[in-house]
Amino acid sequence: MVRIYVIDNGGQWTHREWRTLRDLEVDTSIVPNTTPLHDLLKKDIHGLVLSGGAPRIGLDGTLGNCTEYLEKADFPILGICAGHQFMARHFGGMVQPSKVPEFGKVKLTLCADDALFAEVPTTSIVWESHNDEVTKLPRDFIKLGESENCTIQAMKHKKKHFYGLQFHPEVEHTQYGDQIFKNFIQLCEE
Amino acid sequence: MFQAEKFIEKTIVNLQKEIKGKALIAFSGGVDSTVCTALVNKAIGKQLIAVHVNTGYMRKDEPKQVTQLMKDLGLNYRYVAAENEYYQALQGIEDPEKKRKIIGEKFIRIFEQVARKENIEYLVQGTIAPDWIESGGGLRETIKSHHNVGGLPQDMKLTLIEPLRDLYKDEVRKVARVLHIPVSERQPFPGPGLAIRIIGEATPERAKLVREACDIVEKEIERASEQGLMERPWQYFAVLIPIKTVGVHGDKRAYGNTIAIRAVQSVDAMTCHYSTIPHEVLDAISTKITNTLKENVNRIVYDVTNKPPGTVEWE
Repeated sequence: MVRIYVIDNGGQWTHREWRTLRDLEVDTSIVPNTTPLHDLLKKDIHGLVLSGGAPRIGLDGTLGNCTEYLEKADFPILGICAGHQFMARHFGGMVQPSKVPEFGKVKLTLCADDALFAEVPTTSIVWESHNDEVTKLPRDFIKLGESENCTIQAMKHKKKHFYGLQFHPEVEHTQYGDQIFKNFIQLCEE
Repeated sequence: MFQAEKFIEKTIVNLQKEIKGKALIAFSGGVDSTVCTALVNKAIGKQLIAVHVNTGYMRKDEPKQVTQLMKDLGLNYRYVAAENEYYQALQGIEDPEKKRKIIGEKFIRIFEQVARKENIEYLVQGTIAPDWIESGGGLRETIKSHHNVGGLPQDMKLTLIEPLRDLYKDEVRKVARVLHIPVSERQPFPGPGLAIRIIGEATPERAKLVREACDIVEKEIERASEQGLMERPWQYFAVLIPIKTVGVHGDKRAYGNTIAIRAVQSVDAMTCHYSTIPHEVLDAISTKITNTLKENVNRIVYDVTNKPPGTVEWE
């Protein structure tokens, strides 16, 4: 059974991420973001989800132990919302308050083919809730998707299976959320 | 996938281990507390006492219906009429978080009284995931203090048992169906009741207005859904906005309050889309409310906000 833990950065939807993974038959658990990496490695995990949360990554540069996970992990990591922003900032990108913050229903447009979006159409409905966003892509990353008011909705590391999503694939109203999670699980299984 | 049968089995075993003695359940008559009651009843039987508090902010005929439900379920129950106590406690209170905390504390004080009288040590609540998520704590921001989590007083003496903590509404309904609970499909109703459907001070007079308006919204929408005019929303109700606007009643000037119609589609309450109610149904609701409550209401608006950025309830 594939084992993917959810790092809790205090998001409203952290528990929804756990539920989505559990519904897809993943062995999953929510752990605080202060958990040291070696404790996670002891559990023999195959992947991590970095949840969103209230912290303003654009304004504040820390997010528990997330730095350690991003520096040392050799398994896939999916950063969502604040988790995504932190990933971008960690690898040298820039996060700033959004000119037009997005809440609720938004149209996502994919701009590159990638395993994370296998079987997801080029445009689809996603659900958002953010005040900040990634405004400059880190050098080692490529952009995978955008929306009208947010140019970096999805990104991926060029060499590692590190992904960042500004939107929320875990919530019921995101059209292809389950498919995106299925694809991420598959990446963790490989 | 969530397996209701397995959940039931495991929960009953855990409850038998956890509860050593008598327990009290906070019984609202909704799907969460009724499922919880059925589970605890299976675990400890007559050691369980269901307590229903009439806060004065219940919907039309609700206390009567809930009492009947407690009888039908064969529960050992207590009914506490506390309307005036709640009205007094909320006098002059306008802040939604203060309202929620006052109501939450009052519930606990009433439960403690019953517990003292009957020698009860445990308090069972039908708390589900969105309740504690939105109540915040630690890293998590408080969106609203759910009366059963963020509204609990710190000096509470009862031991809290919450068997449904990790479940969302759709999962609770699955459990309810397996247990043949009659209210398995009932729409959610918040613990603080109509008090948080009144913007500003929740006076008994305003409670009466919003109660009537909620009843009209519920009946009209249920009728329209049965007739196939629309899908039954996940939750649907009225909100009283005590902002006055001008109207005209039989050639005379009117100056009354506003009622908002709120209806949403959801699965788990964590995200919602506003329901698209056909205009003919909105029209029927509007006419009915403004005619029935003509002394006090002369304007109806329709809430078209998703969650996020809105929440389902207005407070």
